Amino acid sequence: MLEIKPIFNSLLRSKAGAVMLLVQIAITVAIVSNAAFIISDRIAYLHQDTGYPEHEIFSFSVVTFGDDVDRVQKIQENVRMLRNVPGVINAVSLTEIPLSGSGSASSFSLSSEPDNSGQNGVRAAYVMGDEHSLDTLGVEIAQGRNFTAQDVIVFDSEGPMVNVMIASKPFVDEIFPSGDGLGKTVYFGNNPIKIIGIVDKMMGPWLKDRAAEHFVIMPLVRDSRFQKVLVRAHPAQRSVIMARVEQLMLDNYDKRVITNIRALDKAKADYNAEDILMMRMLIVIIVVLVLVTALGIFGLTVFNINKRTKQIGTRRALGARKSDIIRYFLVENCIICLVGISIGAIAAVYLGQLLLLHYELPALDNSFIAVTIVLVLCMSLLSVLMPAYKAANISPSIATRSV
Amino acid sequence: MFIHYVDLAWRSFKRTPLVSIVMVSAIAVGIGITMTSLSVYHMMSMDPIPSKSDKLFAVQLNTMDDGNQWWTDDNLPQQITYKDAIALYQADIGQAGMKIRKVPSTRTGFSVHMDRSTTKPFLESTRLTGRDFFDMFELEFEYGGAWSTQQEKSAAPVVVISHSLNQKLFGGANSIGKVINLDETKFQIVGVTKHWDIHTKYYDLTNGAFNNTENLFIPVSLLTTMELPTWGNTNGWKFEEVNTHQDKLNSELLWLQFWAELDSHEQVQQFENYLQAYLQEQGSLGRFDRRAQQFAVRDVNTWLDYNRVVSQDNRILVGLSFMFLIVCLANILGLLLGKFLKRAPEIGVRRALGANKTQVFMQHLVEVSMLGLFGGIAGIGIAQLGLWGVRQSYDYYSALATMDISMLVAAPFIAVFSCILAGMYPAWLVCKTAPAIYLKTQ
Repeated sequence: MLEIKPIFNSLLRSKAGAVMLLVQIAITVAIVSNAAFIISDRIAYLHQDTGYPEHEIFSFSVVTFGDDVDRVQKIQENVRMLRNVPGVINAVSLTEIPLSGSGSASSFSLSSEPDNSGQNGVRAAYVMGDEHSLDTLGVEIAQGRNFTAQDVIVFDSEGPMVNVMIASKPFVDEIFPSGDGLGKTVYFGNNPIKIIGIVDKMMGPWLKDRAAEHFVIMPLVRDSRFQKVLVRAHPAQRSVIMARVEQLMLDNYDKRVITNIRALDKAKADYNAEDILMMRMLIVIIVVLVLVTALGIFGLTVFNINKRTKQIGTRRALGARKSDIIRYFLVENCIICLVGISIGAIAAVYLGQLLLLHYELPALDNSFIAVTIVLVLCMSLLSVLMPAYKAANISPSIATRSV
Repeated sequence: MFIHYVDLAWRSFKRTPLVSIVMVSAIAVGIGITMTSLSVYHMMSMDPIPSKSDKLFAVQLNTMDDGNQWWTDDNLPQQITYKDAIALYQADIGQAGMKIRKVPSTRTGFSVHMDRSTTKPFLESTRLTGRDFFDMFELEFEYGGAWSTQQEKSAAPVVVISHSLNQKLFGGANSIGKVINLDETKFQIVGVTKHWDIHTKYYDLTNGAFNNTENLFIPVSLLTTMELPTWGNTNGWKFEEVNTHQDKLNSELLWLQFWAELDSHEQVQQFENYLQAYLQEQGSLGRFDRRAQQFAVRDVNTWLDYNRVVSQDNRILVGLSFMFLIVCLANILGLLLGKFLKRAPEIGVRRALGANKTQVFMQHLVEVSMLGLFGGIAGIGIAQLGLWGVRQSYDYYSALATMDISMLVAAPFIAVFSCILAGMYPAWLVCKTAPAIYLKTQ
């Protein structure tokens, strides 16, 4: 019915063109399925929930070189000033900015004695800030309580160390696997610190870190030449406030540099710029690759039709209908395509394993191969349809004409 | 004859303009995408200091207690402690006249401002290092030179600034002897470096291998006297009470880079012997609890490999884009088959008139080479577009996403070579056809 046998035989007579098409389709399937998989992996990574309302928050750095002020008091005064700016929801001076790729981390353990068994506790990124930290970050306490002004300690090397913290749930659950970490004590070096509050989700500064979800906030304010300020504003007014903030700060005191004024979503995008770049390049490769392959199929079919003009004319003269001619080319194309796709699927799995072996990529999900196969099949049928239709319109009289 | 073949190729190109243009675009796109990823790869993996890369060595010491893990392949931290850096820096290694040159270095930073209030204060990251740094890393001077040994010993507030900072502050004039304020300290300029053209910041990979080099260089001795904070990475492996700057200098925290210039195999041996003895001594003083001493000296290129400077993503992209090029070539091969075979009658006549197989074969190879050349040139255009996209998408790659001369030359070569590869089979097919068949049907 589909005349597979004669089509197959005629394919065998002019192998080279068919083989080239087959190679193209096979490689296309292998590349597109793997590239699409990497893209979807990056998209999932880039769009993961960080716990923060990223579009409301921005941060900036303050580097003070003047020695005629108390920097701790100054920054507290500035932060209070910022809270009064219309549109600002809250502001706080934090030691590090989450998602920005810059931060501090330490190991927290269950005992103050460091043991040398290699069991050094659980690592978490930490920041120090006062009781406004959580509200400015836009996260909510799930268990326990927030800091109060009484919890906040202004650091000097003689004075007391912090004794309470708020931590992210993944961190607390790792150090207390039974899930009852609230109210328990962990050690930061020699210092015992009680977990008074747990936040379901707040990511640390490094999204690529294995412990990206481990994040701890401690109520401490300490002097530094290099201070960072986090501001949460109404999304519509954020950019206006960002544009004004440098002048506001310098008008208040000018022996300092205000730098790195950056929206939190921008900070995250900067940290992930390489992934975004990779994603874009892969998308370009996929699109162009599919186009080139479609062009190849189109070109080969046109060539086949030109070569067989007489043959088609003869068939038409002998009573073949237009649909028969179209069907001939569709079936021919399908045969090549199916063989190419089968080889391509195997190559895709192999390529996936190769990438898995040599690079830190997750294992290729087979559904990507399936989707790619369907896509390539559709694309190849579409690109053969037009030339086949043209072939069907070849007049039977061609057959009777000599060259 | 070659000119004649070129002429024939051009005629053939014009006869089927659509197919020709499709083929040229296929090559151009393939070459364009391949060259985009290859250029970035080439820049990333390029030897940053070819004349000396086998003579400069990064020094690593394992000063951790046994049982502590580091994330490098051989468990060695990339940076060293302050006390080790200073001890090694001050050590006198090598025979007289052939002393081993070595420098510690680390990154700090300042707000730079001038007494004139016209320039708004700005931040500059600053390299703290020894005076040999400039010579060792071939950083040349536009004006002045490195600070003196005496200035370094006495921790004098002197600074070497970069070409670009000199442009910004003094409009490029000779600024030796001028004073700039770094935070609240007045520093005297002793040198202005020339533009430093390195893509990889190989002397300090800790905060991104492709970041800009520093614009300020000051003597490492200022680290203690000015109590400067580090702007680089500080890593610890055990808990220590570190509250003051002095605590940090005495601690086991790892935060300095250390480089040595070893000109010969003997010097490498000498230096390694010294490190072995030094670590043994430190171990016997009870500073760390290790059964065996471990250290490493790695030359520049080994160091870049060890730190995995070329990103994984980039390797994947290079691989994928070469596969992409293969698809484009398969595409061209298919089209060439069609084009050449259609011409078989004409070739039959040529063969019958006396052209031999080699000549016919050569004629077709010249034709595909021409397609390759056109495609290669168009490919450079596409690659420039691609690299522009890369630069737009990722600032950090702005110095990397460019084509240097070698890549510009390579592009048409790769294009022509791959086209010849693809054209070989169709050309062979055409030249082996027996002329008789075609003469008969005419």
